[in-house]
Amino acid sequence: MSAITVTSLDERIRRSIGADGGASTTQEYFVNMGPQHPSTHGVLRLVLKLDGENVREVIPVLGYIHRGVEKMGEHLSYRQFVHLTDRLDYLSALANNWAVAKAVEKAANIETNERIETIRTIVAELQRIASHQLWWGVFGMDLGAFTPFLYGFRDREKISDILEETIGARLTMNYIQPGGVMFDIHPDFQRKVKEFLTYFRPKLEEYETLLTQNVIVQERMRGVGVLTAEKAVSMGATGPVLRASGVAHDLRRSEPYGVYAKAAFDVPVGRNGDCWDRYWVRIEEIRQSMRIIEQLIDNIPEGKHLVVKPAVRTKVPEGIHYSQVETARGIFGVMLVSDGKDVPYRIHVRTPNFNNLWTVTETAPGWRVADLVTIISSLDIVVPDIDR
Amino acid sequence: MGLITEKLPGIIEPVPGGSVLLSSMDAVINWARSNSLWPLTFGTSCCAIEVMMASGAARHDLARFGAEVTRPSPRQADLLVIAGTIVRKMAPRLKLLYEQMAEPRYVIATGSCAISGGPFIYNNYSTVRGADEIIPVDVYVPGCPPRPEGFFYGILQLQRLIREGESIRRPGERRKPVLAALPAGITLDQIQAELRELLESKAQVKLGASATAGRG
Amino acid sequence: MEANELISTVQSLEPAATLRDKVDRPAMSVPKESVPALMRRLRDEPALSFDMLCAHTAIDWHNENRIELVYQLYSTKHRHYLAVFVSLLRDMPVVTSVSDVWRIAEWQEREVYDMFGVLYRSHPDLRRILLDDDWKGFPLRKDYKDEFMLEAPK
Repeated sequence: MSAITVTSLDERIRRSIGADGGASTTQEYFVNMGPQHPSTHGVLRLVLKLDGENVREVIPVLGYIHRGVEKMGEHLSYRQFVHLTDRLDYLSALANNWAVAKAVEKAANIETNERIETIRTIVAELQRIASHQLWWGVFGMDLGAFTPFLYGFRDREKISDILEETIGARLTMNYIQPGGVMFDIHPDFQRKVKEFLTYFRPKLEEYETLLTQNVIVQERMRGVGVLTAEKAVSMGATGPVLRASGVAHDLRRSEPYGVYAKAAFDVPVGRNGDCWDRYWVRIEEIRQSMRIIEQLIDNIPEGKHLVVKPAVRTKVPEGIHYSQVETARGIFGVMLVSDGKDVPYRIHVRTPNFNNLWTVTETAPGWRVADLVTIISSLDIVVPDIDR
Repeated sequence: MGLITEKLPGIIEPVPGGSVLLSSMDAVINWARSNSLWPLTFGTSCCAIEVMMASGAARHDLARFGAEVTRPSPRQADLLVIAGTIVRKMAPRLKLLYEQMAEPRYVIATGSCAISGGPFIYNNYSTVRGADEIIPVDVYVPGCPPRPEGFFYGILQLQRLIREGESIRRPGERRKPVLAALPAGITLDQIQAELRELLESKAQVKLGASATAGRG
Repeated sequence: MEANELISTVQSLEPAATLRDKVDRPAMSVPKESVPALMRRLRDEPALSFDMLCAHTAIDWHNENRIELVYQLYSTKHRHYLAVFVSLLRDMPVVTSVSDVWRIAEWQEREVYDMFGVLYRSHPDLRRILLDDDWKGFPLRKDYKDEFMLEAPK
């Protein structure tokens, strides 16, 4: 026992000072970035060890939005837990809902129908587009360009409107629940989605001419923050971050859920794992999501939108049940430990951002502070999802 | 500004007619203050997307109403918009940010979490049950998260509060907080029209009325 | 690899490994002594090559006085999953760190320490990750008490 000592942040920083103190020409110093900082996307805190403007070491400090969701989950029914997942990665709320719904359905043997699965797939893909639009806007802003923010949000509002009409909420949806979806789709849903697709296709090209083809933007992304495939896998990164490093792991393809098996789409994979690849992979994912929606939107089968009663407290058989979905940021997994009651014994959420964040400790050292901002932004992190 | 707001009232007040003059100054100062709110970017979670980002973006466009100069530094801001959950680890930082802001400073708590802890009240070891346990709050904007319209309405309420309730005779006085729930059926256009009206109406100095109001 | 084949391969590497039932994916219980060595072999064995630690967490079996660690492994090469369970004594939960096998384990283990108080031998940087350094207790343990916490009204 005595061999294991638990240290503190101060201790960690002290150790970091001692590592190569005096070896460099300029004096190294520590800078606190966050928890209240405009480019950390929320309340992430990074302790930076700097040599002039060069980043030597990044020590992320978490917990400034740790809300104890897992503890609360032990006191809530499965249906009630769904609404907490909205508030983890709020930009992929529907996918998060889906993960819980899928776990409960699989465990309690609830058979859903084709209509439910198709609606789920379409709304999840719509939100993936919205999430990437937001990321694109914020990424531009982090690089110092304000216009992408306005463009991204202008188009994101269109999706928010479509979803709001059906779901009744703009951000925290709480829509996909065990045994179906909360409401049937709005009569105008299909028409509006198709309108959106025709509207957005040329706009996406506009995104490309505005930001992608900008030489300055390319210079700031190419070769910056390279994450090798081996490192990415070892760090447990998922989603666009992993795929940009050249590992074609997409749950929608490798273990299709919903009706992804019915739709034809490509999984964009990067080559170098730098910021440019992560950027490009996401832009390409928007195209693929649009392709998926296009194939499904006219083929929503008839059927009920809910196969269990809305307020029922589902009992889950004893055991450990997993489910995972691919959100806009990576794999969101839920582990339910049930003792046969209608309340989980323990619930664990595996969030994509937690693993993705730590890649910054590998990729950022050696780059400037401004590049660090690019790297963090290219990871597309959502801090409440890291802290849970 | 410091001289006018801190020293002057004591000098003018005893002079005959000084009270009326002070009330006129109140009207001008409050007009200026209420129309140039500079918010601090302080988004912790979901509400930040709706309240800080969507309301500042193209469609809702907070910029038209003089409250879009979001500042990352508390020393340059006079409006603290708490957009999201405050947890126990964050609480000292929130207090620090608030204390770093210059007077007069205003606080809007948006969303259930910042008002009361929202969905994270029971069986929770981490979430602070309402930002007002740490710092005083002026306007509460309910919602989980509130729509950008709701936030606009909150700003509108704060602007009214500043115009009506503030006087340089009582610097640093805290007003009673208000709840800015969206009235049923109100549209974004109506809120924006009202904001515009408030912005465009010049400092109409109604001498008699504001003098009596100031005494009350 | 099929589930049966996977399990028999793991058993050939570690004879003491037993099947963990009531899990909806291939799952093994292994003794805590075998953790770092077995994990390294799970990663390096070409037929298994579990190169990703998807998640690492724990379950507090309060009544049985044990804490069960869960390692969820995935192979990006063979696309198969394995869950490895390790039981520890609740009063003295000590296990060897696997942070040199999978890089991400360093932080996932810190989280398990933070929430359950599991101590990791030869961990490079063991300290709390989500809560303050001076926090008392481990919140995800079933008997965690906190004067701040409110019980939900019945």
